[in-house]
Parts: sequence; C-alpha cells; structure tokens
Amino acid sequence: MRIFLLSVLLLSACSKGPNADLQYIKQARSIAAEWALVNEQAELGKLTPTYVESLHRWLRDDLQTAISSLSEPNSPYGDQMKALLAEPPDTAAFALRARAESLKQIEDGLESA
Amino acid sequence: MNPLELTLGIMTAVGGFVDISELVFAAKAGSKFGYALIWVFALATLGIIIFSEMSGRVAAVAKQPVFNLMRHRLGLKLGLLTLAASIVSNLITCAAEIGGVSLILNYLTGAPYVLMAIGMTAVFVTSIWVLPFQWIERVYGLLGLFMIVFAAALVAIRPPWNQIGGGFVPQVPAGLTNKELLTFGYFTVAIISAVMFPYEVYFYSSGGIEEGWGPKDMLTNRLTSVLGMALGSLLAISILASSAQLFGPVNVDPEIPGSAALEAAIPFGKWGLILALLGMLFAVAGAAVETCMANAYSISQFFGWVWGRHKKPWEAPRFTITWIILFLLALAIVLTGVDVMMLVEFAVLFSILVLPLTYLPLLVLAGDKTYMREYANGPIAKVLGWLYFAIITGAAIAAVPLFVLTSGGNG
Repeated sequence: MRIFLLSVLLLSACSKGPNADLQYIKQARSIAAEWALVNEQAELGKLTPTYVESLHRWLRDDLQTAISSLSEPNSPYGDQMKALLAEPPDTAAFALRARAESLKQIEDGLESA
Repeated sequence: MNPLELTLGIMTAVGGFVDISELVFAAKAGSKFGYALIWVFALATLGIIIFSEMSGRVAAVAKQPVFNLMRHRLGLKLGLLTLAASIVSNLITCAAEIGGVSLILNYLTGAPYVLMAIGMTAVFVTSIWVLPFQWIERVYGLLGLFMIVFAAALVAIRPPWNQIGGGFVPQVPAGLTNKELLTFGYFTVAIISAVMFPYEVYFYSSGGIEEGWGPKDMLTNRLTSVLGMALGSLLAISILASSAQLFGPVNVDPEIPGSAALEAAIPFGKWGLILALLGMLFAVAGAAVETCMANAYSISQFFGWVWGRHKKPWEAPRFTITWIILFLLALAIVLTGVDVMMLVEFAVLFSILVLPLTYLPLLVLAGDKTYMREYANGPIAKVLGWLYFAIITGAAIAAVPLFVLTSGGNG
C-alpha cells in the first residue's frame, strides 16, 4: 500500500504534457469566465472603477503565471491562453465567454481522454 | 450578561471562518460542487463549537491555556514538535492574512500591494500595542460584521432553498469521475482544516484567560462558542451558496480572494461591493491579529513566560517582542512576492497536520475530574469529542496525498 501510494505521488509529480497542463487550462478558462463576469457587471454600473482595474490586473497576472507554468506552451491550448492574455482589459463579455468556452472544450476533451 | 462579552467569540469566529482561506475555499467549493459541501461546513462547525467550548471551559476552571496543557500532557519532545508545527502553520496563515488584507485594500483603493502590506503590518502592531485586549476583539470582531452583507446577498438572489437545505445532508455527488472524487475529498479535508484552524482555540482559550474567566462565566463561554461559530459558519455557507448560484453556472472557479465580493455586488451594486470589501478587510485583518497573537501565546505559554495583553507591553517583554517579531516575519514572507493563494493552500495543509496534536491534550484535560471537578466533560461531550478527534485524525492522514494528487484542489 505504501509503495503504491509513493508511486502514485511520484507519477503525479513527474507527469508532463497536456494532462499535466490541465490544471492551468482550467485556471485560464475560469479567468476568462471571471473576466467576462467582471466586465458585464461593470457595464451595468455595479462595480467601482478601482475594483475593476485591480481585478483585471490580478487576473492577468494569474493568467501570465499559468502560461509560464505550461509544460507545452506551443500547443493549441497554449495559443488560446496567449490570445486571451493579449485581449484588452475592457473586451466585451461575450468575446471573453467565447474564449472561456473554447478552453472548456479543450479541458473536457483532455478529461474524457 | 453584557452582549459585548460575545465579541471574543465573534472575533474568533469571523476571523477563523471568513479569513482569507475561507473566502477562497467556500467560493471555490460552491462553484465546483454546488451545494454538496455545505454539510462539511456544518460538520466542522459543530466540531469547532465543541472544542472551543471545551478550551474556554478549561481556561475558566483549570486556568490552563492550550499550550500549557500540551507541554504537560504530550511531554517535552512531542510538545516541542507540536509547537514547531503550529508556529509554522500560524506564521504562514498570518502571512496569508496580511497578503489578503493588502489585496483587499488594493481592490478598494488601488494603492500598491506592497505598500499596503507594510502599512497594514504597522497598523496591526500599533493597534495591539495601544488597545486593551477587549478593545482589540471589539474593533476587529464588530467591524467584521460587515460580512453580514453576504448573507443578505444570498437572500436577495433568491437561491433554491430546498437545494441549500439538501446540502446539509452528508453526501458525495453522483456521477463524479475518479479525479473529481479526489478533488471532492481534498475540499472536504481542506474545509475541515480551515474551519477548525488550531489558532482559533489557542486564541479563544488565551482570550478567556485574558478576560479573567472563572466558573461563573460558563454561560458566557457556551453562548460565545455557539453563537460566534454559528455566525461564522452562516457567513461561510452564504459565500458558498452564492458562489454555487452565481459562479458555477458561468464556469468561474474564483481564482482570487476579491472575486467573492462580486456576490454582493451582483444583487446590491456598488454599495454591496464596498460593504463586502470592508467586511472582508476587517475579517481578514482580525484573522491576521488572531494568528499572530495565537502564535505569541503558544510560544510564551510553552516556555512559561509572562504573557497577555491585559498587561502593559513592557510588563510581558518576551511576549511583546515575540508578537512583534512574528508580525515582521509574516511581512517578510509577503514581501518575497510569494502568491497569497499558495500561502493559503500551505496554511490549510499545515494546520490539518497539527489539528490532532492540538485537540488531544485538550480532550484529555477537559475530561479529567482532578482538574475540572464538576465541570469535566459529560458523556455527550466525551463521545462527540472523541468522534471529532477520529475525524480530524483521518483528515490529517488523508491531507497530504489528496493535496499532491489533486494539485491542491486544482487538478
């Protein structure tokens, strides 16, 4: 049992490729969706400009970190994440949701594989 | 009984339940698993009520704070190990809280994060130095009550109350993949840890001694534990349920602590947002003070130093120097630029490992009639105490493998 547990821990620590990147893809999908929600609520006048600006900055920082953590940055999902990072802060909510949806499809594909 | 006497429980609970880790874990739990983890909050809340009541009772009757007991009951070696682990756990937690406060101030004012971390550490040190203990708990405890906006926001979005009610029934959602099951397991363990953080009982029992509790204060202790912790739990469950309603359906797994404030902004607009951020600010600030004080209490009690904020700072010099150094160390961790979320995850992980060693001596002493006389644990407290001890021991064993296998719940 102890050997089995150690092997599982070792394997999970050493894995590379899309499966190892799955957590960053999920993170990027969530960031895109949250960014969309923030912009949508800001459009409705429910948020202060300082909060919106601050959230944009932290979300983009997190996205940058996720991209730099990818084991395969030159992959379709890596490209999607870089394209998301290149979007201006005030991108329309529907465009950000579309990006979240594309990442979600990649995520679902990897999870079901 | 003066209602202001409840502020120790309110500060302990608001700072313990809705600190930076809870803002993140409750919101994430709701967005990932809907209402299915509410029962874990309820289970852990009953646990922390039982143990905080026990620690308050021991403080009132035996006049023994938790770390004093540890040295005597666990022996020097195991006691030192527990002390070392809890210092690390509390220090990481304190750093996470300072980082959290700085983030929230950044959301509120746009002021630079690093500057806010330095400024707020100075505010914490000054407030502990200047304010008597009762005012420390009143200021941070009562201002943290702005968090009630989260409960009001939940009512305003008209959630499916029957599903929320169903969340109180212990369950594992059907149809989860193996990986999702592991993540569900990790969240279960993390919530138990975050609700039952050891610093809460260190702070609460030491606070009881600071306030000079005696056997006449049993009712205050009971009410404070039950009402304070129930309030904290209500707020945490509100954050979880709003997240299930607002974030889950649009694929948001809240990535940063500030996301939770959206839950109040969506129904109430800018004022809801500001109240939520203020509530978060004071609750997390209270947790920063609580973790640092808990650490200083633990060290002082273990080594038998004079301690307490009921004394002037220079009357307990080693205690005073300890809490100042601990604040500076926590600030130094924040200034390295380490991610607050990573600190939160490590704080939760370390805490669960310390939990069994924290609660075992307390459980043994609270049941010891030599010390506790007629106030020793009765049959119900005994059964529940040992049951929860078994639960937290199981959680502590499962914590590290689950953390690795799920990449800290993100896998």
